[in-house]
Amino acid sequence: MPPELKALIDDDTAEVLRRINGLSPYQVPDLRLKQDSNYAHTPSDYEPFGAIKPYKEHFLKQMEYTGAGRAIPEPGPELKTVKIGFIGPIMSTVSVATGGKSHEETLGIQMLEGAKLAIEEWNARGGYFRRHIPFELDTRNDNGLWGASGNEIINMAYKNDDWAIIGTIDGANSHIAIRVALKAEIVMLNSGDTDPTFIETNIPWVMRCIGDDRQMGYLLMDYVLRKMNYKRVGIIRASNRYGRFGVRELNDSGRRMQHPTIIEMAYKVGSEDFSLQLERMKASNLDAVIHWGDAAESARILNQMRKMGMKQPFFASDRSVSREFTNVAGANAEGVICGFPWNPQRKDAKLAAFNAAFRKRFNSDAGTYAAHAYDGMNMLIWAIQVAGLNRAKIRDVLAYRTKPWPGVTGDIPLSAALDDLGDVYLAKYEGGAWRYYSREDLKIPRGYIPARDRVNRATGAIDPMKPEDRN
Amino acid sequence: MRHLRYVSLMAALTCLAGAAEVAKLPYVYTKWKHITTADGLPNDHIFAVKSDGPRVWIGTENGLAMLDKRTGKIKSWGEKDGLPWRVVTAIDVDKKTGDVWLGLFGGGLARFSGGRFDHWHQLNSGLVNDVVYGVAVQDDNIWAATTAGASRFNTVTGEWTIFTEKNAPMEEIWNYNVAVGKGKVYIAVWGSGMLEYDIASNRWKDYLDPDGEMEIDLYRDDGIVHVIVTAASPADDVVWVSSYFGACRYDGRHWRGYYNQDSGLADDFINNTKGRSADEAWFATDKGASAITDFKTNTWVTYTRDATGKGGKAVVMRDRDVLETVEMPVGIPHNFIINYDIDGNDVFVATAKGLGWGVGEGYYPGLKQRPKMVAKAKGAAVTKGGAE
Repeated sequence: MPPELKALIDDDTAEVLRRINGLSPYQVPDLRLKQDSNYAHTPSDYEPFGAIKPYKEHFLKQMEYTGAGRAIPEPGPELKTVKIGFIGPIMSTVSVATGGKSHEETLGIQMLEGAKLAIEEWNARGGYFRRHIPFELDTRNDNGLWGASGNEIINMAYKNDDWAIIGTIDGANSHIAIRVALKAEIVMLNSGDTDPTFIETNIPWVMRCIGDDRQMGYLLMDYVLRKMNYKRVGIIRASNRYGRFGVRELNDSGRRMQHPTIIEMAYKVGSEDFSLQLERMKASNLDAVIHWGDAAESARILNQMRKMGMKQPFFASDRSVSREFTNVAGANAEGVICGFPWNPQRKDAKLAAFNAAFRKRFNSDAGTYAAHAYDGMNMLIWAIQVAGLNRAKIRDVLAYRTKPWPGVTGDIPLSAALDDLGDVYLAKYEGGAWRYYSREDLKIPRGYIPARDRVNRATGAIDPMKPEDRN
Repeated sequence: MRHLRYVSLMAALTCLAGAAEVAKLPYVYTKWKHITTADGLPNDHIFAVKSDGPRVWIGTENGLAMLDKRTGKIKSWGEKDGLPWRVVTAIDVDKKTGDVWLGLFGGGLARFSGGRFDHWHQLNSGLVNDVVYGVAVQDDNIWAATTAGASRFNTVTGEWTIFTEKNAPMEEIWNYNVAVGKGKVYIAVWGSGMLEYDIASNRWKDYLDPDGEMEIDLYRDDGIVHVIVTAASPADDVVWVSSYFGACRYDGRHWRGYYNQDSGLADDFINNTKGRSADEAWFATDKGASAITDFKTNTWVTYTRDATGKGGKAVVMRDRDVLETVEMPVGIPHNFIINYDIDGNDVFVATAKGLGWGVGEGYYPGLKQRPKMVAKAKGAAVTKGGAE
């Protein structure tokens, strides 16, 4: 084994490799499955149907891959490159799936740049160590038209023989992609889709390296409801999948905390005039407004709110944490608070090195989507390096990792559902700049997170003050 | 004759076991044949299987194959033979014309007729997407369940109809499977539960998980167990439904859910289902072939293959109680089950590593008073003239 490869394999990974190598098509590795006691760190007062013990609770036990893939032999010496698929919105289009004219290219291009940088760095270190051949990015545009992402995954899995895939951003296209990945048996790592349902599909081939809207929604609602004690919350959102699914946890959390959303208004992506929605929201006597959608619309909504005399605090999803938002919002941006999947101002040598390398390579600052794609691509390349050229084993070394991935975006601990359960943050625009706060920084209270799964608890409803309920 | 052989098998097993206990038990398939690349299949990863009289059509990850049950010979077709795309995920046969309809994974829809392949795809037809998961023949119509909606092709008029969220209650358009029942077409949709299309009235009805939550099933029998549905298979007057989160049965009024924790299901991750009757259905799990054989008593048989060798087991369970374990010298080909078809007394099992042919000599539905097979069914399951 080349020394540079040996350096990538810690004791736990070596044990995983020992157990997945040399298996026949009929054998399943004897490896301990992750078992979570609570789904997605959900506090008991945010749990659905909290007063009732459900018959079944999903996503607590890791999915196994029990197919024959581990016995597929590696390709012969004719292989010239190790291809990794990339699918993301990098070209403008008009799409039914994304609600009209495409709007995610700025995010997709960032994602592509992050992935590219990771590949180039590994190639500079010698490429695929076992054969001394380079990694190659198989880049595909996710245009969302007629489920095109499905066709692209087919191309990557069957025609181009990619070893793993990273992507995409749009929730609908991500779902289409993972259904294909499941059948084709190829890892689909997502670094840009924050739709909570993406991972709620029980597919053993799917994982994610970015905090989702469930995590960010919980933190945002803890701040709004538990810390600030706002009671009358209104929501305005994009009329697409990102908006629709992004606010689900907000609505659910508010309702379960006895403060249901007073009004929820949707708008067409790309709208300029939000007076119809805002007039109704203004009449609703709100304590706070939450927006879930893209940066440009977010800024325009905020500006129109202020122009109409609406002085409510403005909260938004992570997509508003951008220069586009602050450029359009101007002075109105001051005080805006957004959920955010990581802390880009963290003092970390890895992050500093990444930022410097990114700036040098692309002459721009790395954003969220670049940083997470960089982490995701590094995870995939690490897995390919240590597992070898076998899709099932590439999946195994990631799925059975015992330690969080040490990313530039922070530690990435994968849950039993292979979702990123790392810390999420609130971004606040203060004094002309975004600042990032953890729950602890802002002393945001959180609900009681039960230590036992719902089915096996003593009671349905939990009173955290009663010791018997806590068992 | 077949029945006599089965009775002999039972008697032999009873002798092996000594004074075996007699109980009301289901039929257990003890004779399995494996059909693999060694027998001429183009690939062992089997996505689809469809029985068609003396023929069995087999859709693989790398080509189409046909098994002649009479001779055991296999013929196959790849792209060089005109098959439009090599990954065949769905098969149905038009009984009226004999045409074989193929769902191609990323290649659209194909018809194999008279030795020729005809091809429909996104760019030359009304097929809504080329990633086809399911295909079903309904009278003169061919239904295709695709990753971006369903398409219906009328083979007489040439008319295409597309069903998406615009004209059907698809909260999501990610169709997974399609099957035809009495006057109805059932579509399994990832994220939208099961959809029922009434052929006479052209009306849709959706069946969603009543609790509306992804992470829990609040009550087992309140409706479909989850919205991520992989297949719906009508049989008699019921519909059997599979999902990656358990299974269920709907009789038009009542739902009954099944999980690994309360039934003989090998696992809750289920790729497909095939209903045989209102009492019997086969579920394609990732840990074995599980068949509920008697609805009323919740009696199941789960077939698995041992990790080493070709042997396997059939475990008979009622609820979670094991009634009987039958060890067999030849089990199913692999434990990752993808598809089924029922052919008279026989069952065909598509797996991740070959096709299994369960020979149903002496098959009987439901339960029957018989001795428990407490000993190894050695010799009884040895096949003659089969692939193994």
